[in-house]
Amino acid sequence: MRKKLLSVVSMALVVGLLGGCASTKPATPAQTDTASGQKTYKVAYIARAQSDSFAAWLANSVKEEAKKYPNMKLEVFDGQANDDKENSMIENAITNKFDLVIVQPNSGESQRPYVEKVVKAGIFAITTNARISGIEGASSVDAQPYEQAAVNARAALKQIPQNAKVVVLKGPSGNFHADERRKSWQKEFFDKRPDVKIVGEQIANWNKDEAMKYMEDWVQANDKIDAVISMNDNMAAGALEVVKGNPKFANILAYGVDGTAEALLLIKDGRMTSTCLQNANELAEKMLDASNKLLTGKEKVINTDIGNPLVTKENVDQYIEILKKSGSIK
Amino acid sequence: MKIRSNFWSTVKKKYSIYMILIALFIVCSLANPNFLSVNNLTNISRQLSVTTILALSATMLIISGMLDLSSGSVLALAGVFAVSAYKTTGSLLIAVVVGILTGVICNVINAIMISTFKAPPFIATLAMLTVARGVALLFTKGQNILQLGNFVELGQGSIGIIPIPIIFLIVIAILTWYLLNHTRFGRSLYAVGGNEEASIASGINVHKVKYTAFIINGIFVGLAGVLFMSRVNAGLPNGAINYEFTALTAAIIGGTSFSGGVGTVGGTLAGAFIVGFLDNIMNLTNVDSYMQQIVRGTIIALAVIYDIRTRNRRANSMLGRIEDKGVVENK
Repeated sequence: MRKKLLSVVSMALVVGLLGGCASTKPATPAQTDTASGQKTYKVAYIARAQSDSFAAWLANSVKEEAKKYPNMKLEVFDGQANDDKENSMIENAITNKFDLVIVQPNSGESQRPYVEKVVKAGIFAITTNARISGIEGASSVDAQPYEQAAVNARAALKQIPQNAKVVVLKGPSGNFHADERRKSWQKEFFDKRPDVKIVGEQIANWNKDEAMKYMEDWVQANDKIDAVISMNDNMAAGALEVVKGNPKFANILAYGVDGTAEALLLIKDGRMTSTCLQNANELAEKMLDASNKLLTGKEKVINTDIGNPLVTKENVDQYIEILKKSGSIK
Repeated sequence: MKIRSNFWSTVKKKYSIYMILIALFIVCSLANPNFLSVNNLTNISRQLSVTTILALSATMLIISGMLDLSSGSVLALAGVFAVSAYKTTGSLLIAVVVGILTGVICNVINAIMISTFKAPPFIATLAMLTVARGVALLFTKGQNILQLGNFVELGQGSIGIIPIPIIFLIVIAILTWYLLNHTRFGRSLYAVGGNEEASIASGINVHKVKYTAFIINGIFVGLAGVLFMSRVNAGLPNGAINYEFTALTAAIIGGTSFSGGVGTVGGTLAGAFIVGFLDNIMNLTNVDSYMQQIVRGTIIALAVIYDIRTRNRRANSMLGRIEDKGVVENK
């Protein structure tokens, strides 16, 4: 009797749960009419990881930019730097019949088949930062990681002295931007300057604290370090924190990518040499503009890039103004 | 002859970790001349200060049969709150208090989940790991807090030639050693970790012991958060990733047993310095990142194997003694 009761209750629970699941995710129509008669489109933005400071800046910018488009209803999802979670979110967006899905891949190739599924389902797809290239029917809005590093590397060809000793801080292995930026430094700088010696090279995972630790050790191992070549600004700032106030390293050169608030302030103070601005605001603007054009039928596929401006002491003020407007610098 | 062999076995059992540390120190000194410089040794201590504070509180928890996987995330949360408090008030004291309070609140929640609701420490603190990091990211919108002014003095400054974080580490190490070895609370921690049921039977308030351990853990983690942010000169919501594992590694290498009831402050300090020396020498000699990961992983594996073998040997010798006395009948 007790067993019977238990199985009936279990069945009721299962049925209830299934019903609940179904009711929380209704298959809403792709487009709905608003009171004004204008069509609204459901847009999903699936971020790589909101815990990554650049990804967070981009997600915040996308949310801000979306306010300018009353015909779009944006929902932001956090992939939590996990391929599996991000792929599930892309599948959910298909199931929930979003009209357009923007994917900031965690590791491009893992998301490729899922973005292909989005296109197959007749939904617009945009990949961004970094783009997944070669998907027929999908669009992309991105920066060019190779070029972001190259603008620094070309400047460094003239700035880094003969027979210099340099250290290199890399992003996580397998990350498209990390790998492309390192490749760019190799081709655009190290291959052309065989006199330059790398005395330390480590993966600091984009993190300031990890970069600090490596730099502290390198400073002990080397009497002279002429330049810090970093694949992002966070790590460059960490390395510079270590040699702050040390007269032996007063003339050290430091290169980064991203144009974070900290890097711009360091360039302004003359402590960092240059960075390449990866303007999240510009990315967001282009992304929402592309979304609008795709959804309203003005374009079928869009592939576009933002600029790769080199930020130096000479032009840093104009970029500080941009970050002040976005609230990143107060 | 037997006395001599007993002496060596006692020395090996009690001091093997220190002998490994000394041997490693000598090898590192020979491997790179820069290793032995005062600057480098100060550097290592400064680098180790935050993770060793976490390792000491991890040791305390593991001794009592508990665990804190959330310490890295709580550290980041306490740190960004402390930085914000400093930027708002300009008071270092208020920043430190806010940091410590944050650590304590998070750890009281850990204690409630573990002691009151009987959640396994692994699960409860894993939940806190996610929540605390989430709150830190939500609070800062994922962006670093910059321009900290004099806040950096705490993490980057020195008193005489001794860096301030090292002074904090020394004070916390002495305090932990005193708590573990000279207080009733310390004895209770070992007892609870050794055998919780027996502790209850002997009148120890296990509930109170667990709450106190987590509150002390909260104080240490909160303080570590303030030191960390001050050292890196930024409020990093994404900082101190995986620090809890570095802390656990130091504790395990130092001989703290995951099954509870065993662990010392000296062992954990030695474990932390073994990890620190290894990291340092690998960086000084420019060993590849991937190779560094392999070396670290191998050391953890060896430490755990050593711990298991020691426990088995101890259990076997105890069983042997019981058999000798004829207590075990079915043999």
